[in-house]
Amino acid sequence: MFAYMVRRLLILIPLLFVICFLVYLGMFLTPGDPVSYMIGPEAMQNLKPAELEALKEALGLNQPFIIRFLLWLGGVMKGDFGYSLQSGVPIKNIVLARLPATLELSGVALLLSTVFGSLLGTVSALKRGSIGDNALTVAGMIGVSIPQFVFGLAAIVVFTLKLHWLPVGGRIEPDDVTFWDRFPNLVMPSLVLAATMVAGVMRYSRSSMLDSMNREFIKTARSKGLPEWRVNFVHGFRVALLPVIVLIGFRLPMLLGGSVIVEQVFQWPGIGNEFVAAVRSYNYPLIMMIAFFSVFAVLIASFLIDLLTAWLDPRVKFE
Amino acid sequence: MENAKGRTTRLDRQFDRLRDMEEAGTYVKARGGRVLGRILANKLSLFGFVAAGVILLASMFAPLITRYDPMAIDLRHIEAPPSAVHILGTDKVGRDVFSRILYGGRISILVGLGSSLGSALIGIGIGAYTGYRGGWLDGLLLRISEIVMSFPQIILVLMLVAIAGQSLMNLMLIFTLTGWGGIYRMIRGQMLSLREEEYVTAMRAFGMNTLSICYKHILPNALGPIMVNITLSTAMFILQEAGLSFLGLGVPASIPTWGNILNAAQDLRILTTLWWMWIPVSTVISVFVLAINFIGDGLRDSTDPTQQG
Repeated sequence: MFAYMVRRLLILIPLLFVICFLVYLGMFLTPGDPVSYMIGPEAMQNLKPAELEALKEALGLNQPFIIRFLLWLGGVMKGDFGYSLQSGVPIKNIVLARLPATLELSGVALLLSTVFGSLLGTVSALKRGSIGDNALTVAGMIGVSIPQFVFGLAAIVVFTLKLHWLPVGGRIEPDDVTFWDRFPNLVMPSLVLAATMVAGVMRYSRSSMLDSMNREFIKTARSKGLPEWRVNFVHGFRVALLPVIVLIGFRLPMLLGGSVIVEQVFQWPGIGNEFVAAVRSYNYPLIMMIAFFSVFAVLIASFLIDLLTAWLDPRVKFE
Repeated sequence: MENAKGRTTRLDRQFDRLRDMEEAGTYVKARGGRVLGRILANKLSLFGFVAAGVILLASMFAPLITRYDPMAIDLRHIEAPPSAVHILGTDKVGRDVFSRILYGGRISILVGLGSSLGSALIGIGIGAYTGYRGGWLDGLLLRISEIVMSFPQIILVLMLVAIAGQSLMNLMLIFTLTGWGGIYRMIRGQMLSLREEEYVTAMRAFGMNTLSICYKHILPNALGPIMVNITLSTAMFILQEAGLSFLGLGVPASIPTWGNILNAAQDLRILTTLWWMWIPVSTVISVFVLAINFIGDGLRDSTDPTQQG
């Protein structure tokens, strides 16, 4: 197991290196003076041209491209991600401030969509061919066909503007208030984000459950005289869940990407919102670093998913 | 064809008929007809064909259906509710919403279809060849697709939009460059299994051209999944265009597209009182994408014999 983990992590290193290079290349090719995002703006204002030149020399900015890339990479590894062009705030602080909101939103959405998706898919498979099954299939198709933001806007119109049940958007910081105070703000964004994912999980778990219901061990379980719910939900479901977990792993990029639009609709102060603002104002260092962090998050998550599958599936060998 | 006793059975006659059809070249047509027949037999995909067809035709023949210019500003009739003059009312600067939806459909569908065909072209072009040949090129392209696919797509798209700038052409190029991974992987996977078939070995033994083997003889066997993929990714790109234009970062705002029309819906006043500015266009997008998804699903059911339902 340990050797497998190490091997799997070692594969990530060249991939991350290439992605780092692409991100740096992106910053290199886009307009903007590298000095301006390597030092804070206050420090910049007090500099004389000669000092600036000396600083460039000291920072290695007069070095060839590859050397500069390696210097930058060294900085990134030490946690120095540069500065936002607009506000001059270190990118690290911006990301750390925005990250909890995004993690909260996508975590809840992931949980909801997995639970509902796999349950509905399982029920659909057990009642295969029934009206309920067909209705769920069609509902799932409708769910993936409505643009996410239209979903969000409709929810705002119904639950905020007409019924006045929920706040229009925003997020309450978890400082002094309880979870239940913050809960109303979280309901709509997380449900909308989950709704678009449920269909895929449902479809996948349905076919995976159908597949597992035809297997030998189900017959064995049934012939042992186990009650039907135990056969389906303990023996069948456990095996059917595996491909679903893999699917969720594949969908993590979608989840992160999806939260960009949902955060915008509900003014949720997460990374996605910051990213859109950065794109709108051509804040290249911030754009590149957020893109880099999102890839990083996806790679780490897919690594964890791999471990989880390996742990759940006794057939996977850790070669 | 005769069996051992010299008597033709029903089975023999059937085989004779099939052989005659094959020789006359009508067999393929009959098979195509069967696929189409099975798609049409599926009520949902029939609905898909009808709904998508109606929206597509209405967009194509927009000038015959509406007499308003989708970009003509009319400040004397701003925010007019639906009436006999303006079927779906007018927007904030007095442009006819109905004609904007029709003309917007042209661009939105163009972006969706164009990008998915572009991605298919790249994905198939390299996937078929490298999947068949293998080797270092295959390994390299697989790594490249891995890198592209490890970015959340919308983040990669927005990043490229920020670098390349906003334009219709750029958006389609960006969609193509970020979207080819899925179909490339699918084709490559198909090639890996199809290249082990005996007819491929036979063709290789005859010394046939590699390009001809992989594009002309193996590739048609993957036609079913390719069609399904193109259909479903068209739907996906239409949704993405709508999302990006809603953020104001997709197609430039001066060009009417479904997403650009919906951009107005960020205003709470429009959301509550001026419903005609966002509900009709949301419905059209959703129905169109749903229709395309139904078609794709029908295609999958009718071309993939392993799919069980």
